[in-house]
Amino acid sequence: MAALSSYSMPTEQPAFSFQNQPQSHASGGPTQHSFYPYTDNGGSTLGISGSSFTIIAGDTRMTSGYNILTRYAPKLFRIGGEGPEHAGAKIVLSVVGFAADGQALQERLDMVVKMYRYQHGKDMSVHACAQRLSHILYNKRFFPYYVQAILGGIDEEGVGALYSYDPVGSYEREQCRAAGAAASLIMPFLDNQVNLKNQYEPDAPQGLEKPQLQPQPLDRQTVEELVRDAFTSAVERHIEVGDGLQMMVITKDGIEELYSPLKQD
Amino acid sequence: MFIARSEYDRGINTFSPEGRLFQVEYSLEAIKLGSTAIGVTTASGTVLGVEKRITSSLLETSSVEKVVEIDQHIGCAMSGLQADARSMIEHARVTSQSHAFNYNEPIKVESCTQAICDLALRFGESASGEEEESIMSRPFGVALLIAGYDEDGPSLYHAEPSGTFYRYDAKAIGSGSEGAQAELQSSYHKSLTLPEAEDLVLKTLKQVMEEKLDANNVQLASVTKEKGFRVYGDEEMKGCVGRIENE
Repeated sequence: MAALSSYSMPTEQPAFSFQNQPQSHASGGPTQHSFYPYTDNGGSTLGISGSSFTIIAGDTRMTSGYNILTRYAPKLFRIGGEGPEHAGAKIVLSVVGFAADGQALQERLDMVVKMYRYQHGKDMSVHACAQRLSHILYNKRFFPYYVQAILGGIDEEGVGALYSYDPVGSYEREQCRAAGAAASLIMPFLDNQVNLKNQYEPDAPQGLEKPQLQPQPLDRQTVEELVRDAFTSAVERHIEVGDGLQMMVITKDGIEELYSPLKQD
Repeated sequence: MFIARSEYDRGINTFSPEGRLFQVEYSLEAIKLGSTAIGVTTASGTVLGVEKRITSSLLETSSVEKVVEIDQHIGCAMSGLQADARSMIEHARVTSQSHAFNYNEPIKVESCTQAICDLALRFGESASGEEEESIMSRPFGVALLIAGYDEDGPSLYHAEPSGTFYRYDAKAIGSGSEGAQAELQSSYHKSLTLPEAEDLVLKTLKQVMEEKLDANNVQLASVTKEKGFRVYGDEEMKGCVGRIENE
């Protein structure tokens, strides 16, 4: 986890899978080859759930070391929809970390959700999908998908549901979560703005017993603005985040996708 | 050679020229030898009732187990070869638990029934070996009435050794099934309450049983939203049997 969330830049060369050069000994001894299976492709994702919607967002930059591999590589995926457009999907998965693992994970979960519909004759609930995703991740406990996943949807009561995962499947339902390269920049902002941490009743008298402001359910527009602010700020401070902001808003009516540009520097 | 049947009823997976699988058909016959079991659905839950054949006065009646739990919300009654039912029920239990483990939700009754029927057709000479579990060499000789309560409300399914299943409002299987089904046909209506369904099951069993019905030679169970699957205890059985005898 520490490797995913804390930011570290390679000191000598970019982090490619094949960065490890064959090591040969001067004396003409054996040459050692090695292969490192993971790359950190940077980027950041973020999810916030409301009383009747969930918003998941991610930037679209994909990096490897100091290189930008592409300016448009979506980290958000519709799960369980039909056809190339994923029509009718009600669940969104976001993955950040190693892009290839994220892709593989998305394909597996999508297949599982589709098979579930054939086998049980109903759509999978987010609640069920969340548990299944946890198992998919844990099943690769000793060669993990190198990703931080966030799963969003609408629960059986019509309330926004958001689940966050570590790479080996430990998960939790939350109000908001930031993941990826700029998680350490965005998460404190969300703690303060969504869960109103360190905010106190303004009229209360000074002293130790000042009452905390209680978090209220946020409306959709407020959340969208929070997401945009979080990402424009993260872009300023983190080189692996930028290019474009992709947002998916999940409501009872389906998934709405929004895209807006971010700075490309 | 001259009797058409004897040619084709040995090979377990061999069709006869008329397109029949005799061993599967014989397995359906085995059920007709079994004790009667009845299921009745109401708006508030499903009632299962079975006849226990008390072959000896020395037999401990509580050891005759013909209604069993599959999951908290699914139960089943059986008729036919009881030992065969054990492996089907084991399979259903494992499937239900694995569904709860994987999806953190109770399995649907239809999905559970489907899982049982998938197993029912896994028999034959070539089936064993490479597969993960050891499989039957012949069809199962038992039919099940699977009762459950899920998000779609209460339901009752009938699963046969042929691997087919259907959903019923009320269904009887076993030796007295013909008479019992006719009785259910005439007496069943959608607005039955749970106690009325208990009465209907007991009265129908009473009609088709050879022995005189009492609290020891029948067993009731029910599946409701509130209590899930539940096998009735001795006191409750006495109450239900007493109720139909007083009428």
